[in-house]
Amino acid sequence: MKMFSASHKTAFVVDHCHYMAESCRQQVEFDMLTKNRAQGVIPLAPVSKSLWTCAVECSMEYCRILYDIYPTRKLVNYIVSDSDCHILNSWNQVDQNTQELMARLAVVGPPNPSEDPECCSILHGLVAAVGSLCKLTEYQHEARTTLMDQAERVNNRGRIICLTNAKSDTHVRMLEDYVQETILEQNKIAAASDRLMQIQQCELVLIHTYPFGEETLVSDRPRKEISSVLSSEVHSVRAGRHLASKLNVLVQQHFDLASTTITNIPMKEEQHANTSANYDVELLHHRDAHMEFIKSGDLHPTGSTPRDSGLKETVTLKWCTPRTNSVELHFCTGAYRISPVDVNSRPSSCLTNFLLNGRSVLLEQPRKSGSKVISHMLSSHGGEIFLHVLNCTRSTLEDPPSISEGCGGRVTDYRITDFGEFMRENRLTPFPEAQGADGAGKVPLERAKGQLERHTRYWPMIISQTTIFNMQAVVPLANLIVKESLSEEDVLTCQKTVYNLVDMERKNDPLPISTVGTRGKGPKRDEQYRIMWNELETLVRTHVGSSERHQRVLDCVLACRSKPPEEEERKKRGRKREDREDKAEKNGKDSEAERSWQESERLKAALEREKDDLPESEVIKDSPDSPEPLNKKPRLEMEELQLPEKAKGPVSLFTMWTNRINAANSRKHQEFAGRINSVNNKAELYQHLKDENGMDSHENGKATR
Amino acid sequence: MPTVVMMDVSLSMTRPVVVESSEEFQRKNLAIHGLTMLFEHMATNYRLEFTALLAFSSLWELMVPFTRDYNTLQEALNNLEDYDKTCLEAALQGVSNVVQQEWGSGCPCQVVLVTDGSLGIGRGSLRHSLQTIKQRGEDKKFPLPFLFPSKLYVMCIASAEELQYGDALENLEQLLNLNGGEGQIFTMEGPLCLKNVQSMFGKLIDQAYSPFHAVLRCGNLSSDVQVFPRPEPIQLDEEVDPTPRTILTELEIVGFIEIGDISSPPVLSRHLVLPIAVNKDVDELGTGAPDEMEEDSSSTQMAGKSPNFCVLLHGSLKVEGMVALVQLGPDWFGILYSQADSKKKSNLMMSLLEPGSEPLPWLGKISQLGPTSDAAENPYGEDDSKSPFPLQPKNKRSYAQNVTVWIKPSGLQTDVQKILRNARKLPEKTQTFYKELNRLRKAALAFGFWELLKGVADLLERECTLLPDTAHPDAAFQLSHAAQQLKLASTGDSQYAAFQHNITPMLTDFSGGAGDRDRL
Repeated sequence: MKMFSASHKTAFVVDHCHYMAESCRQQVEFDMLTKNRAQGVIPLAPVSKSLWTCAVECSMEYCRILYDIYPTRKLVNYIVSDSDCHILNSWNQVDQNTQELMARLAVVGPPNPSEDPECCSILHGLVAAVGSLCKLTEYQHEARTTLMDQAERVNNRGRIICLTNAKSDTHVRMLEDYVQETILEQNKIAAASDRLMQIQQCELVLIHTYPFGEETLVSDRPRKEISSVLSSEVHSVRAGRHLASKLNVLVQQHFDLASTTITNIPMKEEQHANTSANYDVELLHHRDAHMEFIKSGDLHPTGSTPRDSGLKETVTLKWCTPRTNSVELHFCTGAYRISPVDVNSRPSSCLTNFLLNGRSVLLEQPRKSGSKVISHMLSSHGGEIFLHVLNCTRSTLEDPPSISEGCGGRVTDYRITDFGEFMRENRLTPFPEAQGADGAGKVPLERAKGQLERHTRYWPMIISQTTIFNMQAVVPLANLIVKESLSEEDVLTCQKTVYNLVDMERKNDPLPISTVGTRGKGPKRDEQYRIMWNELETLVRTHVGSSERHQRVLDCVLACRSKPPEEEERKKRGRKREDREDKAEKNGKDSEAERSWQESERLKAALEREKDDLPESEVIKDSPDSPEPLNKKPRLEMEELQLPEKAKGPVSLFTMWTNRINAANSRKHQEFAGRINSVNNKAELYQHLKDENGMDSHENGKATR
Repeated sequence: MPTVVMMDVSLSMTRPVVVESSEEFQRKNLAIHGLTMLFEHMATNYRLEFTALLAFSSLWELMVPFTRDYNTLQEALNNLEDYDKTCLEAALQGVSNVVQQEWGSGCPCQVVLVTDGSLGIGRGSLRHSLQTIKQRGEDKKFPLPFLFPSKLYVMCIASAEELQYGDALENLEQLLNLNGGEGQIFTMEGPLCLKNVQSMFGKLIDQAYSPFHAVLRCGNLSSDVQVFPRPEPIQLDEEVDPTPRTILTELEIVGFIEIGDISSPPVLSRHLVLPIAVNKDVDELGTGAPDEMEEDSSSTQMAGKSPNFCVLLHGSLKVEGMVALVQLGPDWFGILYSQADSKKKSNLMMSLLEPGSEPLPWLGKISQLGPTSDAAENPYGEDDSKSPFPLQPKNKRSYAQNVTVWIKPSGLQTDVQKILRNARKLPEKTQTFYKELNRLRKAALAFGFWELLKGVADLLERECTLLPDTAHPDAAFQLSHAAQQLKLASTGDSQYAAFQHNITPMLTDFSGGAGDRDRL
């Protein structure tokens, strides 16, 4: 349906003149005999509704169905006409509900029989209705604003449903002519105004209603084009239930609705709680829910059946007992809001309450062949019930190649659980529109995208590609570092995590380095830690631009990971390169201050080592000494090479000179014990406690050197 | 989107083609050559497409039912025999039946009609069919437009000039118009020869059978994918927004939602998302992408062995029972999830939601969905026991709010009975009694049904007189109070007939005052 079809705006004009106070002459017994009633009581006389009451309750029923199925975008303007017009609501979405209308109708009250018949007329209401149709709805306004220079694409069509008691066919013609003239007049005014729109198309539905048992003075007439703008149809119906069923047919026509009867609903009997009988409930919904029936020829499309045939067409679907669970994702081609035809009947309210409690019901299509086809599902979402259309034909996607046969399908160590955790953290949640935009003016969805970006800056997909994400000890830091901003406390937690890792390294705890693809024990412990530190640094480095606190976490990592590089060198070379060791050892034994002089040499050496390491790792895989041939390793080594340089920055001549002087001076006095033993100028206090607890000799060696 | 190939096997297709070279061709040979090319393309680039082959002359026959086995199709194509004259209408009816039987009426199909453009003479000719199109009953309707959404591609083994000579082209254009303009007519450019037939079918392939490649992204993780079947452009409201929408080739995941929360949403179409290997390792190494983890595949390694984001995503979606919300374009979203077929195989599937800012009422506006970490308190609860979905609508629907409808007498009677039932259990049921009474009062006032108010007042007064001796004294007080209030409301006096006004229980000292008396 087009957004701005005639159904976008419906103006109800209900006659409130004195003659509407007349009884509809259909009596309602309200004093029903019940059990335990004292004998001999004469029931009270039945009551009878006025034409007004009938018109109001039928039009409210029309609105009830409309609002159930189209809570937005299909608008009603309710107008009451007597000696003047009373516009009960506006086109605004907030005014579109039956409670508001009921309250305002109560203020209007029944027609006043003593009012001067001369001034009373339905014409006041019709004029007001045409005026209303010229007014922009919120949706029209929004669409025009969005389309800017193409605002003329937004059409202004509407419908006037007039409930009155006409005198004759001539009277009806007079009403039509009057509406036609008014439209022309109002369109002229609208053309000159920015806040009004000309009516392009108006459907007038005149309903003449009269008391039961009277002859009608007005004849029915199907829709006729009165002019290019106005078309009109006339319905002549008796008040009461006839009027109700007429408006029910009309609401279906006007809003493309269709009817489905759910049959075989098992329901507990009121009297005999342990037996259940089967009930039927009729629902209305958009007719697209029947598209498959219409196309297959089982049902006539609404256009092909003669209008007002009186015969109600409804599709029967059978209640299916095996219920569906909510975690199943059905292939559903449409979902349409429903409205029960008889909303207050016991079967209807039983069905709707059952659904509103969160349960879903599958519906089966009765087929001649006897085969069972489940074609629909009733389900509620947040207090609204929808009829879902399920696909019940063969799928063109059947028998697809399994995901395990395609790209990446042979890899078996995906971090499925971790990614599941990641998905949970990146679940979406609705934010109210007003507060949705934060200070930066970003809509919540953009923030969600931002979070995904931050969380994936470093995210290895398989277990064997990562060390840190396999370590429980890294979790606190890994969870925090991806945050947009860190608190002081967060920084502390991160630092603690890093210290904890330092501690692990000192204790020489084993790391969960993957040994996939390697035989033997895998890399040595210190090599493992090197890989781990590299990876941690990569992770933290990707977030360093986020804030100054992120930078501090990186600083912490860099500070803690950098053991004196010479030492690292020494150990490596000690293991692998006897010939070059002497020189390196000498360098290593040089005082701390001399280190900057060695920097370039060290880099050169490391580069050589890298060159040497590469073929080695490929050739002697079997050796327990060789590092794990991770594919990423060459890159990490490269990075490691650049890091000290990056961290320290270029060394100025002044610094070198100062260092040299300091070194010279330091030889002249005895250094403080703390400074001698410090790592990165930080001395650990109460070392003896650890010593007493039996500290790793290797670590001792480092500390005392 | 399945394909039906309609092959014209009438005698006119055997007309020889004048070619300079020594070999003599029939138009049929050219047609077969073109179709062979199409089948080969599909077998390599579009292999999940179901295709059927239907041969027609004055009769039609389904040579190969829908299949993905392109060898069978090729074989059948090579073994076609020649028959009598062309009768298109019957064949189109045949297509209509075949498709509906197999796929129902909701599944979009492509129909490739291969003909030489001589569309028959006399009864059964296309000309005759089109002339009589308006004079038919319901049971003999022309098969076009097809009941299923379709694209009709007419491949003419004839040049445009040749077709214009008669009214063939005109008739074919009319045919296309009947199908809502969905489709295209292809004609041969230049002389009829193998090369030109190839270029004609090449155009069809570009138009209708080019695979849709995209990049699926989730933050910095990504994978190259093929989306099958190809998502077709869709049009929303032709008035307000006449340009059809197409999906982006950059599919960006915006977040995740539980399956229970997304809750079987209606979708426009479903598509497989198949990871594909694009050989660009060399570039990546060259530029030194920051996420070094993704480029560990050396070109020699098999694509299956290098980790792919789709596989990871699929695995986790399956295990966690979640869907990923993916952005397809401005204000257009889809969902990614794991779809398992009966044979333990499962796959990454993408469903397209209706375009618009709020495709599912129970999720609200998609742009208003944000990360849970932004919320003051975790909307899923610390132990995952809660969910922020579904969203509640602003107004309750009629069936959820106990509306009053008296169109049928039974509706009114039930409401009166409820009041009476409670009236007899006063004072225990005082609250319910007044609640029901006020509900009736409000409706009667709104409907201008003052007569009913009087009637119910009378009813309550009578109940008062019928109270048994054992009745609690409060019952009589409440009944007459209620009756009096209804009577006052029925006068329309603004003091008593205000809609928002509620009749409140009469304050008696029977219940609340009992304690006081004891003290006295």
